[in-house]
Amino acid sequence: MEIAYYPGCSLQQSSSLYDHQTRMIFSRLGVELKEIEDWNCCGATSAGKVDDFLAVVMPARNIGIAESAGFTEMVIPCSACYSRTIVAQKRMQDNPELRDEINSGLTAKIKGSIRISTIMEVFLNHVSPDLIKQKLTHKFRGLKPVCYYGCMQTRFPYNVPASDNVENPQAMETLLKLFGIRALDWNYKTYCCGASAAVNDPDTALNLMAKIMKEAAARGANCFVTTCPMCQMNLDANQEAFCKKHDIKERLPVYFITELAGAAFGISPEDMQVDRHFIDSMTLLKELEQNEHKDK
Amino acid sequence: MTASVLEFSPENTRPFLQEVMEQSGQMLTACYQCRKCAAGCTVGDETGSFTPNILIRAIVLGDRETALNNELIWKCVSCYTCGTRCPNDIQTARITETLKKMAKKAHVQPVLPKVAAFHDAFVESGMRWGRLNEMEFMGVYELKNALREAKTKNYETVVKEFKTQAELGLAMLKLKRLHFGFLFSKGRGEIKALYRKNRYKQALKAKRG
Repeated sequence: MEIAYYPGCSLQQSSSLYDHQTRMIFSRLGVELKEIEDWNCCGATSAGKVDDFLAVVMPARNIGIAESAGFTEMVIPCSACYSRTIVAQKRMQDNPELRDEINSGLTAKIKGSIRISTIMEVFLNHVSPDLIKQKLTHKFRGLKPVCYYGCMQTRFPYNVPASDNVENPQAMETLLKLFGIRALDWNYKTYCCGASAAVNDPDTALNLMAKIMKEAAARGANCFVTTCPMCQMNLDANQEAFCKKHDIKERLPVYFITELAGAAFGISPEDMQVDRHFIDSMTLLKELEQNEHKDK
Repeated sequence: MTASVLEFSPENTRPFLQEVMEQSGQMLTACYQCRKCAAGCTVGDETGSFTPNILIRAIVLGDRETALNNELIWKCVSCYTCGTRCPNDIQTARITETLKKMAKKAHVQPVLPKVAAFHDAFVESGMRWGRLNEMEFMGVYELKNALREAKTKNYETVVKEFKTQAELGLAMLKLKRLHFGFLFSKGRGEIKALYRKNRYKQALKAKRG
């Protein structure tokens, strides 16, 4: 089956490994992701802080492009892009006047209601558990991840129905279970990592990240799993800094869900570009793979 | 900032409250100060306890000065926890967003100028090219900061910031997480035109009052 694909700016740049993994994993599962033509920046949270209209127009143009190309569903891996796009769609549904105003200036007009999905939804709605089981070559029993959702998967600044439980989402845990990986329960799965504050207000952001890290370590986790490129980058690139500041000894890899999927399907960490993390993320996967062979 | 004393200004209350409510689309008078937003506020520990409920109180009392001049509106990370938990559906993050815009319009110096510079640079870059070019955007943002600091002869801060960013940049280069190509979207003109048209419409509306 074919689904429209909106990578967003970060998946083409600092988090291009996530783009690479997403395309690779879904093509193995028979889901064809078609990148939409000439997409533009969604505006992220910044647009809403500068101009409300802009915050709707920027993602709206992408919706129009996907709909005009005849797609009924569009997947957006980046949480910020996902959130902005789904909010823009709902705002235009609730306000036809606004939609008409935007349509008046767009070549690819917005029609109705294309379904906007996270990659978790694509996994859980379009890939049968049987197919996943067939693809499994490894069971990473020694992996003790905590699933980190961050803010933008379930909380919206507008009345948009969330695709998962707002305070205690389960999609990642459900998927990991299909891979034979059991995630740990913990308290900080939807806590904020500070997002752009890591750049413009680092003191605040490092304190927030340290809280997340402390809880994960206290629960005995040996890694984080996330779907948001911003959360991944923040917890990974700043880990040395916030651990030093808050006297935390542990260091934990911050995996994308696609990396654990790939590992379970027997794709080598090198092929998935796991070596592009700031905190060493190769060793843990390789160790677990070796232990698995010993068990056999 | 410790828990501040709010000024009640009867003559300002209604117009200011009305303005914030209209621009943010939030029914602030529904707030009964249950403090669920405060309990959930991600940056509550970082703002000297100036929590979302206090911000709402300041607006309701007509304390424009406090509402436009506090750490919360700049430290708010738009995590939307406050709004998700509010029993009366008030999205306080939409209020912090609104107050940022009002502060800018009224030429009130941002409590955290770096935050303001960041969002401006982000949107400008996204608009200019249609896609955000991370290196160009970070360059413009750092330049804005450096110029501002240089004005007050705060060269030490400039050097420190430059060092931190250079270190991060180098680490990213090693991990191939810097992108040297240039991204753009051909249809960006459509967004710019719509934005200008809407700005003009808003200005006309404001003029008519």
